[in-house]
Amino acid sequence: MTERTKKWPGVELGAADLLEGKVTQTRFRPNAKYSWAAGEAMSRFLEEMRNGRLVARTCHSCKRVLFPPRMFCEGCFRPTDTWTPIRDTGTIETFSVSYLDTDARRIQEPILVGVVSLDGASPKMGMMHYFGEMTKDEIRIGMRVKAAWKPSEERRGSVLDIRYFRPLREGEG
Amino acid sequence: MTFLERTTDTRRLRHWEGNLEADYIYTSGLAGERFFVALRDDGRLLAARCTACGLDYLPPRIFCEDCFAELTDFVDVPKEGQVAAVTVAHMDRLGAPLATPEVWAFVTFRGIRGGLVHRLLMPPERAKVGVSVRPRLKPKKSRVGAITDIEGFEQARS
Repeated sequence: MTERTKKWPGVELGAADLLEGKVTQTRFRPNAKYSWAAGEAMSRFLEEMRNGRLVARTCHSCKRVLFPPRMFCEGCFRPTDTWTPIRDTGTIETFSVSYLDTDARRIQEPILVGVVSLDGASPKMGMMHYFGEMTKDEIRIGMRVKAAWKPSEERRGSVLDIRYFRPLREGEG
Repeated sequence: MTFLERTTDTRRLRHWEGNLEADYIYTSGLAGERFFVALRDDGRLLAARCTACGLDYLPPRIFCEDCFAELTDFVDVPKEGQVAAVTVAHMDRLGAPLATPEVWAFVTFRGIRGGLVHRLLMPPERAKVGVSVRPRLKPKKSRVGAITDIEGFEQARS
Protein backbone atom coordinates (compact mmCIF):
# COMPACT_ATOMS: atom_id res chain seq x y z
CA MET A 1 0.00 0.00 0.00
CA THR A 2 1.07 3.57 -0.46
CA GLU A 3 1.67 6.18 2.20
CA ARG A 4 -1.74 7.72 1.62
CA THR A 5 -3.70 4.55 1.00
CA LYS A 6 -3.78 2.06 3.83
CA LYS A 7 -6.58 0.03 2.37
CA TRP A 8 -7.92 -0.02 -1.15
CA PRO A 9 -11.52 1.12 -1.33
CA GLY A 10 -14.14 -1.34 -2.38
CA VAL A 11 -15.71 -4.56 -1.21
CA GLU A 12 -13.70 -7.74 -1.33
CA LEU A 13 -15.62 -10.82 -2.39
CA GLY A 14 -14.46 -14.39 -1.95
CA ALA A 15 -15.46 -17.48 -3.88
CA ALA A 16 -17.95 -18.40 -1.16
CA ASP A 17 -19.72 -15.03 -1.49
CA LEU A 18 -20.29 -15.78 -5.14
CA LEU A 19 -21.16 -19.45 -4.84
CA GLU A 20 -23.60 -18.91 -1.97
CA GLY A 21 -25.26 -16.10 -3.87
CA LYS A 22 -24.59 -13.45 -1.22
CA VAL A 23 -24.40 -10.83 -3.96
CA THR A 24 -26.46 -10.47 -7.10
CA GLN A 25 -24.60 -11.77 -10.11
CA THR A 26 -24.79 -12.80 -13.71
CA ARG A 27 -23.43 -16.17 -14.69
CA PHE A 28 -22.64 -17.01 -18.26
CA ARG A 29 -21.03 -19.76 -20.24
CA PRO A 30 -20.04 -18.52 -23.71
CA ASN A 31 -20.53 -21.00 -26.48
CA ALA A 32 -16.98 -20.51 -27.73
CA LYS A 33 -16.51 -23.51 -29.98
CA TYR A 34 -13.63 -23.53 -32.40
CA SER A 35 -12.24 -25.61 -35.20
CA TRP A 36 -8.55 -25.15 -35.80
CA ALA A 37 -7.14 -26.42 -39.08
CA ALA A 38 -3.55 -27.28 -39.88
CA GLY A 39 -3.80 -25.45 -43.20
CA GLU A 40 -3.56 -26.70 -46.79
CA ALA A 41 0.07 -27.77 -46.75
CA MET A 42 0.31 -29.28 -43.27
CA SER A 43 -2.99 -31.12 -43.69
CA ARG A 44 -1.68 -32.87 -46.80
CA PHE A 45 1.63 -33.49 -45.04
CA LEU A 46 -0.16 -35.18 -42.13
CA GLU A 47 -2.36 -37.28 -44.43
CA GLU A 48 0.72 -38.49 -46.29
CA MET A 49 2.32 -39.46 -42.98
CA ARG A 50 -0.51 -41.99 -42.64
CA ASN A 51 0.71 -43.51 -45.90
CA GLY A 52 4.28 -43.62 -44.66
CA ARG A 53 5.40 -40.84 -46.99
CA LEU A 54 7.00 -37.46 -46.49
CA VAL A 55 6.01 -34.70 -48.91
CA ALA A 56 7.45 -31.26 -49.56
CA ARG A 57 6.41 -28.30 -51.72
CA THR A 58 8.63 -27.08 -54.52
CA CYS A 59 8.96 -23.46 -55.56
CA HIS A 60 9.65 -23.21 -59.29
CA SER A 61 11.16 -19.76 -58.88
CA CYS A 62 13.96 -20.46 -56.41
CA LYS A 63 13.93 -24.25 -57.08
CA ARG A 64 13.88 -24.96 -53.38
CA VAL A 65 12.09 -28.02 -52.02
CA LEU A 66 10.37 -26.73 -48.91
CA PHE A 67 9.94 -29.07 -45.97
CA PRO A 68 7.78 -28.99 -43.92
CA PRO A 69 5.62 -28.09 -46.91
CA ARG A 70 4.05 -24.65 -47.19
CA MET A 71 1.83 -23.10 -49.84
CA PHE A 72 3.78 -19.87 -49.97
CA CYS A 73 7.47 -19.33 -50.67
CA GLU A 74 8.83 -16.94 -48.08
CA GLY A 75 11.86 -16.28 -50.24
CA CYS A 76 10.09 -15.42 -53.51
CA PHE A 77 6.82 -14.06 -52.06
CA ARG A 78 4.80 -16.26 -54.36
CA PRO A 79 2.70 -19.42 -54.08
CA THR A 80 4.63 -22.67 -54.24
CA ASP A 81 3.98 -24.92 -57.24
CA THR A 82 4.15 -28.67 -56.82
CA TRP A 83 4.07 -31.50 -54.31
CA THR A 84 7.39 -33.32 -54.13
CA PRO A 85 7.93 -36.62 -52.32
CA ILE A 86 11.13 -36.70 -50.29
CA ARG A 87 12.95 -39.57 -48.58
CA ASP A 88 12.69 -40.65 -44.96
CA THR A 89 16.44 -40.64 -44.51
CA GLY A 90 18.47 -37.68 -43.38
CA THR A 91 21.20 -36.17 -41.27
CA ILE A 92 21.12 -35.02 -37.66
CA GLU A 93 21.57 -31.24 -37.63
CA THR A 94 21.33 -30.72 -33.90
CA PHE A 95 20.15 -32.66 -30.89
CA SER A 96 19.47 -32.51 -27.17
CA VAL A 97 19.85 -35.11 -24.45
CA SER A 98 16.82 -34.38 -22.30
CA TYR A 99 16.31 -35.48 -18.73
CA LEU A 100 12.87 -33.90 -18.78
CA ASP A 101 9.91 -35.63 -20.40
CA THR A 102 7.19 -33.93 -22.45
CA ASP A 103 5.45 -32.89 -19.23
CA ALA A 104 8.72 -31.47 -17.84
CA ARG A 105 8.98 -34.27 -15.27
CA ARG A 106 12.50 -35.40 -14.40
CA ILE A 107 13.42 -38.77 -15.87
CA GLN A 108 16.34 -41.15 -15.24
CA GLU A 109 16.86 -42.37 -18.80
CA PRO A 110 17.21 -39.38 -21.12
CA ILE A 111 15.21 -38.97 -24.30
CA LEU A 112 17.05 -37.88 -27.43
CA VAL A 113 15.42 -35.17 -29.50
CA GLY A 114 16.66 -32.96 -32.30
CA VAL A 115 16.37 -31.74 -35.84
CA VAL A 116 17.00 -33.99 -38.81
CA SER A 117 17.46 -32.53 -42.30
CA LEU A 118 15.82 -34.84 -44.81
CA ASP A 119 17.20 -36.19 -48.07
CA GLY A 120 15.39 -34.76 -51.06
CA ALA A 121 14.48 -31.49 -49.35
CA SER A 122 16.61 -28.39 -49.72
CA PRO A 123 19.65 -28.21 -47.41
CA LYS A 124 18.87 -27.70 -43.72
CA MET A 125 15.17 -28.42 -44.23
CA GLY A 126 13.70 -31.11 -42.07
CA MET A 127 11.82 -31.79 -38.91
CA MET A 128 12.21 -32.09 -35.20
CA HIS A 129 11.78 -35.59 -33.82
CA TYR A 130 12.93 -38.23 -31.38
CA PHE A 131 16.03 -40.34 -31.96
CA GLY A 132 16.14 -44.02 -31.05
CA GLU A 133 18.22 -47.21 -31.24
CA MET A 134 21.23 -45.16 -30.17
CA THR A 135 22.59 -44.00 -26.83
CA LYS A 136 23.34 -40.49 -25.65
CA ASP A 137 27.00 -41.32 -26.13
CA GLU A 138 26.57 -42.50 -29.71
CA ILE A 139 24.42 -39.66 -31.06
CA ARG A 140 26.31 -36.94 -32.91
CA ILE A 141 25.73 -34.13 -35.35
CA GLY A 142 26.08 -35.32 -38.92
CA MET A 143 24.88 -38.82 -38.11
CA ARG A 144 22.88 -40.47 -40.90
CA VAL A 145 19.42 -41.60 -39.80
CA LYS A 146 16.24 -43.16 -41.15
CA ALA A 147 12.64 -42.92 -39.96
CA ALA A 148 11.29 -45.82 -37.92
CA TRP A 149 7.63 -45.85 -38.93
CA LYS A 150 4.80 -47.31 -36.93
CA PRO A 151 2.99 -50.20 -38.64
CA SER A 152 0.43 -48.77 -41.10
CA GLU A 153 -2.56 -49.86 -39.00
CA GLU A 154 -1.27 -47.74 -36.07
CA ARG A 155 -0.68 -44.59 -38.09
CA ARG A 156 -3.05 -41.72 -37.40
CA GLY A 157 -1.87 -38.97 -39.73
CA SER A 158 0.44 -37.47 -37.14
CA VAL A 159 4.16 -36.69 -36.91
CA LEU A 160 4.21 -39.48 -34.34
CA ASP A 161 3.44 -41.96 -37.15
CA ILE A 162 7.23 -41.98 -37.16
CA ARG A 163 8.32 -43.40 -33.79
CA TYR A 164 11.78 -41.92 -34.03
CA PHE A 165 14.79 -41.68 -36.35
CA ARG A 166 17.29 -44.50 -35.98
CA PRO A 167 20.84 -44.89 -37.34
CA LEU A 168 21.02 -45.67 -41.05
CA ARG A 169 22.19 -49.25 -41.53
CA GLU A 170 24.77 -50.55 -43.99
CA GLY A 171 23.31 -50.77 -47.48
CA GLU A 172 20.34 -48.52 -46.71
CA GLY A 173 19.57 -45.55 -48.98
CA MET B 1 -4.16 -22.47 -54.89
CA THR B 2 -2.99 -18.95 -54.69
CA PHE B 3 -2.40 -16.91 -51.62
CA LEU B 4 -5.47 -14.83 -52.46
CA GLU B 5 -7.67 -17.83 -51.77
CA ARG B 6 -8.71 -18.35 -48.22
CA THR B 7 -9.59 -21.47 -46.34
CA THR B 8 -13.03 -20.85 -44.91
CA ASP B 9 -14.10 -24.41 -44.14
CA THR B 10 -11.61 -25.82 -41.66
CA ARG B 11 -13.37 -29.18 -41.70
CA ARG B 12 -12.10 -29.76 -45.23
CA LEU B 13 -8.59 -29.93 -43.78
CA ARG B 14 -7.00 -31.70 -40.85
CA HIS B 15 -8.55 -29.91 -37.94
CA TRP B 16 -9.05 -30.04 -34.22
CA GLU B 17 -12.30 -29.06 -32.55
CA GLY B 18 -12.60 -27.67 -29.08
CA ASN B 19 -14.56 -25.50 -26.76
CA LEU B 20 -13.00 -22.53 -25.04
CA GLU B 21 -14.06 -22.55 -21.43
CA ALA B 22 -14.65 -18.91 -20.61
CA ASP B 23 -17.29 -19.15 -17.90
CA TYR B 24 -17.72 -16.05 -15.85
CA ILE B 25 -19.54 -14.64 -12.87
CA TYR B 26 -20.20 -10.93 -13.14
CA THR B 27 -21.13 -9.13 -9.94
CA SER B 28 -23.42 -6.13 -10.02
CA GLY B 29 -21.15 -3.66 -8.28
CA LEU B 30 -22.08 -1.39 -5.37
CA ALA B 31 -24.81 0.58 -7.09
CA GLY B 32 -25.99 -2.40 -9.10
CA GLU B 33 -26.30 -4.41 -5.92
CA ARG B 34 -28.60 -1.75 -4.40
CA PHE B 35 -30.64 -1.72 -7.60
CA PHE B 36 -31.10 -5.48 -7.89
CA VAL B 37 -31.72 -6.08 -4.19
CA ALA B 38 -34.42 -3.38 -4.18
CA LEU B 39 -35.91 -4.92 -7.31
CA ARG B 40 -35.86 -8.43 -5.87
CA ASP B 41 -36.99 -7.71 -2.32
CA ASP B 42 -39.21 -4.66 -2.68
CA GLY B 43 -40.14 -4.58 -6.34
CA ARG B 44 -38.75 -1.05 -6.63
CA LEU B 45 -36.66 0.52 -9.35
CA LEU B 46 -33.95 2.76 -7.90
CA ALA B 47 -31.92 5.55 -9.45
CA ALA B 48 -28.79 7.07 -7.93
CA ARG B 49 -29.11 10.76 -7.07
CA CYS B 50 -26.46 13.42 -7.32
CA THR B 51 -27.63 16.13 -4.93
CA ALA B 52 -24.99 18.57 -6.20
CA CYS B 53 -26.11 18.38 -9.84
CA GLY B 54 -29.73 17.47 -9.22
CA LEU B 55 -29.33 14.45 -11.49
CA ASP B 56 -30.75 10.96 -11.10
CA TYR B 57 -29.02 8.06 -12.85
CA LEU B 58 -30.58 4.86 -14.15
CA PRO B 59 -29.09 2.32 -13.96
CA PRO B 60 -27.65 3.68 -10.72
CA ARG B 61 -23.93 4.25 -10.54
CA ILE B 62 -21.53 5.26 -7.78
CA PHE B 63 -20.10 8.40 -9.36
CA CYS B 64 -21.73 11.41 -10.96
CA GLU B 65 -20.61 11.70 -14.57
CA ASP B 66 -20.87 15.48 -14.43
CA CYS B 67 -19.18 16.40 -11.12
CA PHE B 68 -17.44 13.11 -10.18
CA ALA B 69 -19.08 13.16 -6.75
CA GLU B 70 -19.60 9.84 -5.06
CA LEU B 71 -23.30 8.92 -5.12
CA THR B 72 -24.82 7.34 -2.04
CA ASP B 73 -28.45 8.49 -2.27
CA PHE B 74 -31.06 6.48 -4.11
CA VAL B 75 -34.51 7.54 -5.22
CA ASP B 76 -37.47 5.70 -6.71
CA VAL B 77 -37.88 5.84 -10.45
CA PRO B 78 -41.32 7.18 -11.57
CA LYS B 79 -43.97 4.50 -11.90
CA GLU B 80 -44.33 5.14 -15.62
CA GLY B 81 -41.71 5.47 -18.29
CA GLN B 82 -41.79 6.31 -21.97
CA VAL B 83 -40.58 4.29 -24.94
CA ALA B 84 -37.57 6.17 -26.35
CA ALA B 85 -36.61 3.67 -29.05
CA VAL B 86 -38.09 0.41 -30.19
CA THR B 87 -37.09 -2.55 -32.30
CA VAL B 88 -38.71 -5.86 -33.21
CA ALA B 89 -36.53 -8.97 -32.93
CA HIS B 90 -37.26 -11.83 -35.31
CA MET B 91 -34.32 -13.94 -34.10
CA ASP B 92 -33.17 -15.01 -30.66
CA ARG B 93 -29.72 -14.36 -29.20
CA LEU B 94 -28.24 -17.29 -31.12
CA GLY B 95 -29.76 -16.28 -34.43
CA ALA B 96 -32.55 -18.88 -34.44
CA PRO B 97 -35.87 -17.62 -35.84
CA LEU B 98 -38.50 -16.69 -33.25
CA ALA B 99 -42.01 -18.07 -33.72
CA THR B 100 -43.41 -14.85 -32.24
CA PRO B 101 -41.38 -11.69 -32.82
CA GLU B 102 -40.28 -9.93 -29.64
CA VAL B 103 -40.54 -6.19 -29.13
CA TRP B 104 -37.60 -4.55 -27.39
CA ALA B 105 -37.34 -0.96 -26.28
CA PHE B 106 -35.20 1.58 -24.51
CA VAL B 107 -37.45 2.96 -21.79
CA THR B 108 -36.69 6.34 -20.22
CA PHE B 109 -38.25 8.04 -17.20
CA ARG B 110 -38.98 11.76 -16.81
CA GLY B 111 -36.23 13.53 -14.91
CA ILE B 112 -33.91 10.51 -14.98
CA ARG B 113 -30.71 10.29 -16.95
CA GLY B 114 -30.39 6.92 -18.64
CA GLY B 115 -32.99 4.20 -18.88
CA LEU B 116 -33.51 0.48 -19.28
CA VAL B 117 -33.50 -1.78 -22.31
CA HIS B 118 -36.19 -4.42 -21.94
CA ARG B 119 -39.01 -6.34 -23.60
CA LEU B 120 -42.23 -4.56 -24.45
CA LEU B 121 -45.23 -6.69 -23.61
CA MET B 122 -47.40 -5.46 -26.46
CA PRO B 123 -47.88 -6.29 -30.13
CA PRO B 124 -45.34 -4.72 -32.50
CA GLU B 125 -47.92 -2.44 -34.11
CA ARG B 126 -48.67 -0.77 -30.75
CA ALA B 127 -45.01 -0.30 -29.84
CA LYS B 128 -44.21 3.28 -30.77
CA VAL B 129 -41.84 5.89 -29.45
CA GLY B 130 -43.56 7.96 -26.77
CA VAL B 131 -45.90 5.22 -25.53
CA SER B 132 -46.20 5.28 -21.73
CA VAL B 133 -45.21 1.99 -20.12
CA ARG B 134 -44.81 0.52 -16.68
CA PRO B 135 -42.76 -2.46 -15.54
CA ARG B 136 -44.45 -5.80 -14.96
CA LEU B 137 -42.50 -7.72 -12.32
CA LYS B 138 -42.31 -11.41 -11.69
CA PRO B 139 -43.98 -12.60 -8.46
CA LYS B 140 -41.70 -11.95 -5.50
CA LYS B 141 -40.97 -15.60 -4.81
CA SER B 142 -39.49 -16.13 -8.26
CA ARG B 143 -37.33 -12.97 -8.29
CA VAL B 144 -33.59 -13.60 -8.03
CA GLY B 145 -32.02 -10.14 -8.25
CA ALA B 146 -31.54 -9.88 -12.00
CA ILE B 147 -32.91 -7.68 -14.74
CA THR B 148 -35.13 -10.60 -15.74
CA ASP B 149 -37.04 -10.05 -12.48
CA ILE B 150 -38.81 -7.54 -14.71
CA GLU B 151 -40.86 -9.54 -17.19
CA GLY B 152 -41.06 -6.51 -19.41
CA PHE B 153 -42.80 -3.18 -19.81
CA GLU B 154 -46.51 -3.09 -20.53
CA GLN B 155 -48.67 -0.25 -21.70
CA ALA B 156 -49.64 2.07 -18.84
CA ARG B 157 -53.41 2.15 -18.39
CA SER B 158 -53.66 5.78 -17.39
